[in-house]
Amino acid sequence: MSDYATPTSAVGGDFEEPPQVMARNLRVASQLWASATAFFFFAFVFAYFYLRSLNSQNLWHPHGVSAPTGSGTAIMLLVVVSAAAGYMAARKLAAGDAASFRIGGLVALALGLAAIVVQIVQWSSLGFGPTDGGYASVFVGWTGLYALFLFGTLYWLETLVATSFRSPKNTDSAAAAAFAFYWVVLALVGVATWVVLYLL
Amino acid sequence: MNMRRLLGFNLLTAVVLGIVGFYVGWWLGHQINGPSVAYFASTGQNDIALFVAYIVGVIGFLAGLGFLNYPVSRMLGKPPSLREKESEGIGRYLGLCTDHKVVGIQYLLGIGAFIFIGGLNAMLIRLELMRPTHLVWNGNNYLTLVSVHGTMMMGMMTSGILGPFANYFVPIMIGARRMAFPRIEALTFWLLMAAGTILMTTFAFGGFPTGWTGYAPLSEQANMGMDAYVAFFALVGLSMTLLGLNMMATIITMRAPGMTWGRLPLFVWGTFSTAVLMVLAAPVLISVLLMLALDRTAQTGFFNVQAGGSPYLYENLFWIFGHPEVYILALPGMGILLEILPVFARKPVWGYRLAVTGMLGISLMSWLVWQHHLFVSGINADLRPFYMLSTELISLPTGFIFIAALGTLWRGRIRLTVPMLFSLAWIFNFLIGGMSGVFLSDTPSDVTTHGSFFSMAHFHYTIMGGLIFAFFGGIYYWLPKMTGFNLNERLGKIHFWVMFVAFNSTFGPLLVIGFLGMPRRVVTYAGYLQGANDWVSVSAFVLGASMLVFLYNLVWTQVFARVPAEMNPWGSKSIEFSLPSPPAVHNFDRIPTFGPDPYPYGDDGAGIGQRPVIAPARPTR
Repeated sequence: MSDYATPTSAVGGDFEEPPQVMARNLRVASQLWASATAFFFFAFVFAYFYLRSLNSQNLWHPHGVSAPTGSGTAIMLLVVVSAAAGYMAARKLAAGDAASFRIGGLVALALGLAAIVVQIVQWSSLGFGPTDGGYASVFVGWTGLYALFLFGTLYWLETLVATSFRSPKNTDSAAAAAFAFYWVVLALVGVATWVVLYLL
Repeated sequence: MNMRRLLGFNLLTAVVLGIVGFYVGWWLGHQINGPSVAYFASTGQNDIALFVAYIVGVIGFLAGLGFLNYPVSRMLGKPPSLREKESEGIGRYLGLCTDHKVVGIQYLLGIGAFIFIGGLNAMLIRLELMRPTHLVWNGNNYLTLVSVHGTMMMGMMTSGILGPFANYFVPIMIGARRMAFPRIEALTFWLLMAAGTILMTTFAFGGFPTGWTGYAPLSEQANMGMDAYVAFFALVGLSMTLLGLNMMATIITMRAPGMTWGRLPLFVWGTFSTAVLMVLAAPVLISVLLMLALDRTAQTGFFNVQAGGSPYLYENLFWIFGHPEVYILALPGMGILLEILPVFARKPVWGYRLAVTGMLGISLMSWLVWQHHLFVSGINADLRPFYMLSTELISLPTGFIFIAALGTLWRGRIRLTVPMLFSLAWIFNFLIGGMSGVFLSDTPSDVTTHGSFFSMAHFHYTIMGGLIFAFFGGIYYWLPKMTGFNLNERLGKIHFWVMFVAFNSTFGPLLVIGFLGMPRRVVTYAGYLQGANDWVSVSAFVLGASMLVFLYNLVWTQVFARVPAEMNPWGSKSIEFSLPSPPAVHNFDRIPTFGPDPYPYGDDGAGIGQRPVIAPARPTR
């Protein structure tokens, strides 16, 4: 017979696990997911510079294809401020202030949603379409998928805030910290997006 | 049958909702008024509708399995829970289960089924090649067979070892009761099943001609069957990313007391170095496939020269993923090899740190070689020497693995069991695969061998000769532990010898045929090569027949004969062999504490049947 387990060990046995195990899991997973996200968008950075350097058929950036810098800047700022609010909220929660976390979380949520709304408005009045050359292709693909990542991450924030409202004692500061880390990384991706697509 | 159970969240519900979702998506896609619909109106091709159908179908499939329940409950503010309530019986294999051991067996059966389909495709390919002109299939059908075979094998086998064996054994080997994220673990499996099903639908939409690489511009111009390729590989990429993330998080955070990095079993190191590549390389694959999907639907021009894009962009991005992918396939096999050799040589692993350095070195260097796939694609000639050198240098860390393996065998008390035979075959096959790879990494010889059967034989030696042989080694080594029933050793040896001889008889001559100039992916060939091709085809059929021996062994021993497996049939020192066969749901009643030596073989008293050398267990933490 084994020293470590018996064949009759209970199905679904309730084994206690220290909370720091899950906290570590979340922290590491958040960092790994951030790495995966960076490599995902690296492909678009690569595409941008590759197609720009080739300028096939002189169609990299035809005349008239120009992304609206104002709304692009607004999107970037909304995401950055939302990430800052999320980060501050997570710190408040770590200090035991769940009420401040809820307020900060709601602010971050609202700002993040506003960024997506501005992005949709921008698409609807771009002045160019996905068929208008290399830059247009990269712009549409990159911003579209970035918005998708924003939406998914805001879902994560919503679950944290909703749990905090519904059962405050279950508000998990480790999960909030993991979210805040990832949200900040995604904001940095947003800054990189803004620099590459609007400034270069 | 319990009606409530029948109508609950299970595979039946999932299939029904998946099919309903597909048709709802198909209808929705046709309602979208976009440039693509107008563009394709003349051809009757609506890629938007098919992509939307795939997406909604997959969502329906996952909803049917119950994967949306937890995210929705979390959205409503319910507190987090670690895993689903676990049950017993065969039903747990047909739905969402968060027991890592159940997921491991799900992977084994699910991936096995799709590999069997991929193998059947290979038989059909070889059937056609028995004649230098058309025999059974026309050119388009032949290309679709080749493409589905390659795509299915490359996609499914990315998780061929991590799916069944790492999911099952890594938590046990590091002294954990679970994976870090059990729901994600289950999700990775069911995403693969959805992906495999989607790939099979390509036959309904005309197939695709590009092979597993999906090169533009051919993939941009192909019919709707190409969309199945895009959806398949994107889902595989997502599954790989999540699988790798879960594996890394588990290994980093959930090791038991005493299980330091320097004591990790080499299979866990192989898993870890593979997982690093999965987390970082698979997202690039998803990106490039989404670009391709946008080109095919929204008419972006990423890979279209006439629209400001470039097909070389596709080639670069694909191989930035694709070459690490080769090592995603190879590294787990190395891990299994180095796990099995010390058991059957009764010696500690020779050069443990060397082997770990080799695996991590391969993992790192696999990022620096991708452009050797583009030597004949018109890349800047100044880049060739660097990529030629970096590709050749990757043989150094690979050599570390060989040195560790041969050093472990040296003067060992070798027992030629079935797992050991497959491991020894790995060394032989992978060596030929590696040596033939030198010709492809050298620019001058690559110019003549690229795109030929030589190249095809080379990667079959590395992937089938390496990964598949290691996969079977793992099955014969671990399956009795997983199911509690022994496999038949005699049938296993028949399987091995037939497979080994037929494998080399198939792919050895293909190296020569490739050198003689026979190109890949072409249905006809020069008449003077028919004799050699007939030999190869017959060998391939024998190779296929060897799988029937295995299947017979599997079904007979696991379903009918059911001879109970001992706790430690091999005399292994690894901790999984100190648990009952199969292990209990939560693996350990008490979390173990590990001693300093992961491979304490060869010292006095280390004979067959001894317990692992592990320090006394601590109470449950």
